[in-house]
Amino acid sequence: MTAAVGEALGVGRLGPRAGEVIDREAPLRFRWDGRDFAAYRGDTIVSGLLAAGVKVFSRSFKYHRPRGVLSASFLDPGCTVQVGDEPNVRGAHRRVEPGMDVRPQNVWPSLRYDLKSANQLVGRFLGAGFYYKTFIKPERLWPAYEQVLKRFATGGRVSPGTPHGFYDKRYAHPDVLVAGGGPAGMAAALAAAGAGATVMLVEEHYELGGHLRYGGAAQLAALEELRAAVAAEAGIEVLTNSVVTGRYDDNWVAVLQRRHPDLVGGGFGPAGSPVVERLIKARTRSLVVAPGLVERPYVFEGNDLPGVMLSSAARRLVNLWAVRPGRAAVVLSANPDGDAAVEDLARAGVEIVGVLDARSGADLVRARAGRDGSLSAVELADGRSLDCDLLVTAVGWSAPTSLLNMAGDKPVYEPRAARFVPGGRQVAGVYATGGIAGDGSLDELVAHARATGAAAARGEPASSVAGLVLDAHPELFRAATHGMVDFSEDVSSKDLVSAAAEGYDSIELMKRYTTVTMGPSQGKLETVNAVAVLSEATGRSIGETGTTVWRPPYAPISLGALAGRIHEPVRHSPMQSWHEAHGARPLVAGQWIRPDHYGDPEAEVATVRERVGIIDVTPLGKLDLRGPDVPKLLNLLYVNKWSKLAVGSVRYGVMCAEDGVVLDDGVTGRLAEDRWMMSTTSSGAATVWEWAEAWLQTEHPDWAVHVTPVTTAYASINVAGPASRELLGRLCADVDISGEAFPYMNLRTATIAGVPGCWMWRIGFTGELSFEVHVPAGYGLHVWECLLAAGADLGVGAFGIEAQRIMRLEKGHFIVGQDTDGLTKALGAGLDWLVKTDKDDFVGRPELVWQDQERYQRLVGLQPLDGSVVPPESSQIVGAGDRIVGRITSSRRSPTLGRSVCLGFVDPELAEAGTVVTVLLPDRRRVPTRVMAHHAHYDPEGVRLRG
Amino acid sequence: MVRAKREPRSGGKLHGFAGGRSARYSAFELVRHGMRHGEWPRVWRECDLRSTYDVVVVGAGIHGLATAYYLATNHGMSRVAVLDRGYVGGGNSGRNTAIVRSNYLTPEGVRFYDRSVELYEHLSADLNFNIMFSQRGHLTLAHSDASLRTMAWRAEVNKLEGIDSSVIGPEEIKRLVPYLDVSDGTRYPVLGALYHPPGGTVRHDAVNWGYARGADARGVEIHQRTEVLGIDVEGGKVTGVRTDRGRISAPVVVNCTAGHATLVSDMVGVRMPVITHPLQAAVTEPVKVFLDAVVVSGTLHVYVSQTDRGELVFGASTDPFASYSMRGSLEFTEELAGHVLELMPALSRMRLLRQWAGLCDMTPDFSPIMGVTPVEGFLVDVGWGTYGYKAGPVAGETMAELIATGRTPELISPFGLDRFGEGRLVGEKGAASVGH
Repeated sequence: MTAAVGEALGVGRLGPRAGEVIDREAPLRFRWDGRDFAAYRGDTIVSGLLAAGVKVFSRSFKYHRPRGVLSASFLDPGCTVQVGDEPNVRGAHRRVEPGMDVRPQNVWPSLRYDLKSANQLVGRFLGAGFYYKTFIKPERLWPAYEQVLKRFATGGRVSPGTPHGFYDKRYAHPDVLVAGGGPAGMAAALAAAGAGATVMLVEEHYELGGHLRYGGAAQLAALEELRAAVAAEAGIEVLTNSVVTGRYDDNWVAVLQRRHPDLVGGGFGPAGSPVVERLIKARTRSLVVAPGLVERPYVFEGNDLPGVMLSSAARRLVNLWAVRPGRAAVVLSANPDGDAAVEDLARAGVEIVGVLDARSGADLVRARAGRDGSLSAVELADGRSLDCDLLVTAVGWSAPTSLLNMAGDKPVYEPRAARFVPGGRQVAGVYATGGIAGDGSLDELVAHARATGAAAARGEPASSVAGLVLDAHPELFRAATHGMVDFSEDVSSKDLVSAAAEGYDSIELMKRYTTVTMGPSQGKLETVNAVAVLSEATGRSIGETGTTVWRPPYAPISLGALAGRIHEPVRHSPMQSWHEAHGARPLVAGQWIRPDHYGDPEAEVATVRERVGIIDVTPLGKLDLRGPDVPKLLNLLYVNKWSKLAVGSVRYGVMCAEDGVVLDDGVTGRLAEDRWMMSTTSSGAATVWEWAEAWLQTEHPDWAVHVTPVTTAYASINVAGPASRELLGRLCADVDISGEAFPYMNLRTATIAGVPGCWMWRIGFTGELSFEVHVPAGYGLHVWECLLAAGADLGVGAFGIEAQRIMRLEKGHFIVGQDTDGLTKALGAGLDWLVKTDKDDFVGRPELVWQDQERYQRLVGLQPLDGSVVPPESSQIVGAGDRIVGRITSSRRSPTLGRSVCLGFVDPELAEAGTVVTVLLPDRRRVPTRVMAHHAHYDPEGVRLRG
Repeated sequence: MVRAKREPRSGGKLHGFAGGRSARYSAFELVRHGMRHGEWPRVWRECDLRSTYDVVVVGAGIHGLATAYYLATNHGMSRVAVLDRGYVGGGNSGRNTAIVRSNYLTPEGVRFYDRSVELYEHLSADLNFNIMFSQRGHLTLAHSDASLRTMAWRAEVNKLEGIDSSVIGPEEIKRLVPYLDVSDGTRYPVLGALYHPPGGTVRHDAVNWGYARGADARGVEIHQRTEVLGIDVEGGKVTGVRTDRGRISAPVVVNCTAGHATLVSDMVGVRMPVITHPLQAAVTEPVKVFLDAVVVSGTLHVYVSQTDRGELVFGASTDPFASYSMRGSLEFTEELAGHVLELMPALSRMRLLRQWAGLCDMTPDFSPIMGVTPVEGFLVDVGWGTYGYKAGPVAGETMAELIATGRTPELISPFGLDRFGEGRLVGEKGAASVGH
């Protein structure tokens, strides 16, 4: 051991305490600020360092004042540290682990000598909101000022190489979830379990017990009894180092299970993958809120000096970690907890320099710092000054009502008890017990908790439990001097008074202006003092002033835990292995990854145009529609007519939204009298399904229609090209696919390559004779390979999306979403022939009937006069003065025609065939381009696909 | 950067502050106050409600306050009351993620928002209140060919309108946002981005307060905690409003509310084609600044920026259901975190600190409703969906002009309520959905 290590275990460490949580048999080493330190297993980072004589753990946000222990809890604002690549670790809560690399945050250049602490000297000019009042002129200098302000951003560092780690999620359905594992929480859990409920008991600290853990012999005995009872109760699942982060509608409760050293290398993750954190999502019948109380700091000059701390902090340090928090102490006590702190400190060998009993009017004025920047003396209201290195305050408690407020309750101020208490709004399934609900002896609290737990288990209203009384407590918020209200934000009571005088005199405005309560503890330590100071400044009562709204999460929760393992689903067709083996370039298309091409898209086009090609179109949306009322649904959703479609026939349809804007398109075929198959665009598969369900469920629940999405149940292959009939005929024995027996826009069920239960239709997106076959997904690869093998002599080849896009553009078929946008109505897209406004009704009909179609841009075929120029898609078409009169939506070089071909929108007066418009390329070249008579550049009469 | 010909700036110097305590904000005054420990004057007065005003503005958010401010500064109209049932900037004006940009998709949208950016650029000086406009650059990521095509479309329209906007590739994106994973191994690879250097963020509260202070200094009265209960109409004309503090006579009432636009318009029987959806947002604990630009991903439904204080501010798309609920949901934070980590995997240890929701009044064409209504004297500046904050200054300027002159300014003529009856939808769906 180095000297530092030896010292670390000794200097501030007390002899064994009855309730200590450290394992003196298990010393460990860690690093702090670049130096070696030692601690015991069970120590927090801060208790270990305090034992080694370290008093300062961080520098404050604005003034870079040295900060030490305040609350010795998760909320402790001055104990936030960097651990490895993890920023903002709560050092007073996180247990130290062997080899941990802990560094101070917000120090520059070092914790000891911080140059930014010079801000204290000019602090009088840097009051709350000072930045709103300066850096205004000259305007051009503001960016430079802003860069300086940014350097003062607080917090730790995020390392760019931080690995994601292993985060997990779990769903749980306890009957009763108890938030808080103090005596009340334990008693409530026991009673609930005793009434037959399954219970989840969630405790923020590493062990159950709450304030009993750092109490005297009687409390420790009571703790042992409760813990043993909980351990013996099979119906209670105990989660320690875990916290309820939010209560959402219908008792949907989020529980964060924090990293637990005991779980590293095992626990609930796969072997070798320690779970960093786990988010438990619980739907619970009853939520019992029992977080206890949070001790409140006192506002006075110097209240943020290292050495000034809360009574609960001093007692935790002494009794849990056997750390002496100082040598000579002054205690300001307004309650029995302060008195208990005096006794604990005395027993720990701390010299009690003075006890100020606030109940009899004693008060302090300010704390003074010594040369080392930490506490050296306290000035009292009676004029005395006491030298000390520890000042303990016990001036009252705040109720962390946040979870109740998320359930709709509003806290009310109770002056007699000097704290906000739950407003008493009854929310079904939500209960409160313990300190948050009231005061009393341990027995009284446990009795209330038991009654509450039993009521929660039985689903009886919270009002069925007799309430707890509130003990009187003096209202003590601020001494005669001004001090820190928000330690994380460096906001003082003086800042708040000034802000109120300036007119930021409601608690919400004050919060926004001064940033009070906006820091990491979100007001759990600070809000009541802020409200009290504001009330003092405005003359309104604390109750009238009210609090800010408590929002989730109750405790900060890592992005990793919220994200979990990150599930962004990837969808592949059953033929993906073939695509990968044959050099397909992947194309991300929403959730799907598809083959863009296999090396040479133009050659793939030639294969289709001259011989036969096959393309994997599995992502095409497919909806299986059944029932006698399917024609009604089709008539409603599509703009064209569907009543007379014969069995075995297919029709093209376009859907519009209520505003007449094109929503999706595709073909639908009739497989049998009451069975239809609808296809949608690949990207529209989910939308159209939801769209159909929305209309059926909300407007036409009486229609007998079942809609089943079967997109991934079938692998879909388009067989296209002059030799497609020959190829498919070789694999399809049970259907006559001759042109006469199986004409264009027809559909057949078939056995293909020995696979029964397939269906196919004759359609032609590419403009060639083509058959789209849909085979049960499990046989997709088999059929794909059979097609390639059977067509080897025909010169068959696979083609990808790019070749398909070229061919559909040659053919002038538009793509919804590419050649249409959020404003394209069916008429503007050139679908006048399709829209049947003489139908009774369909979605978008009123808009389409009534719209002044002349005003809409028209989709037209376009060809640059110079066929070698391929205008990039999204090039704008401009008129005089570069006014935008249209744009190119699709553009490719056509290998078939040997020139560029486009689709695009133009203003209606330019839509006439033969008009020459100007396309402005992104490189500012101007390309004269002719408007064509047809969308189709190739085979406009459709001879080939009907062949 | 190429800029089209500009109109003169609105606003101007603050002349109207009452004497006595020094009112102007400057470094000099800051030091003087610091030395003397003097008090600053109130940002705005507390006034008794008068029985009559020339104009009553409903809603003390950025739109209402800016309208009042420009009425007073540009048109000398100061018998104006701004009413709010809560506090200044307590609605969407204090809940949005304060992103400002003008790289919209339609020429109408671009011109309108560009005027707003221009006003924002000089707003600190005009208001004598530092609104902390940080023109840090705005990136809209493209994760697919389709979105790359839309980005290119926007860039082309933007360039033609004189806006600094272009499509950039992954290498330059990485240079601007080093923490972004631009490798092709991600689920949604970053193929490119629409880069808009003048885009950025403002301190939203500062804008609200600055407008409130500026309007107040020119005689406008701001009445917080004053709820409008009804609007009186006689013979098709507005005559006044009823509030929980009494009745006010006024020939002109402007609905500048968000989240409740339909409810206020219902008071005079003017129906709005508006559906209200919650929009959630969240903020993390602060860490040292590592992210300069504003990063938006439509595919992943997320936008993120880092404040000067070090917090990451996140927003997403609107909730898919109509609701007036302003409670955050767990699902939102889960999805958000997943998407953020897809973009920037190194952030897994950052912690979410607070979540909240605002209410977005969505119109069918993702564009606002501004101007006159069938009820004479009842004007609207509503339907601001998810893009209201960035438009606040120009909306206020143009609404003030409309009120003062009775003529609808060219910039807002596409946004009239009558367009829904005439089929003249504007169409910013492409640029506005998750387009922050």
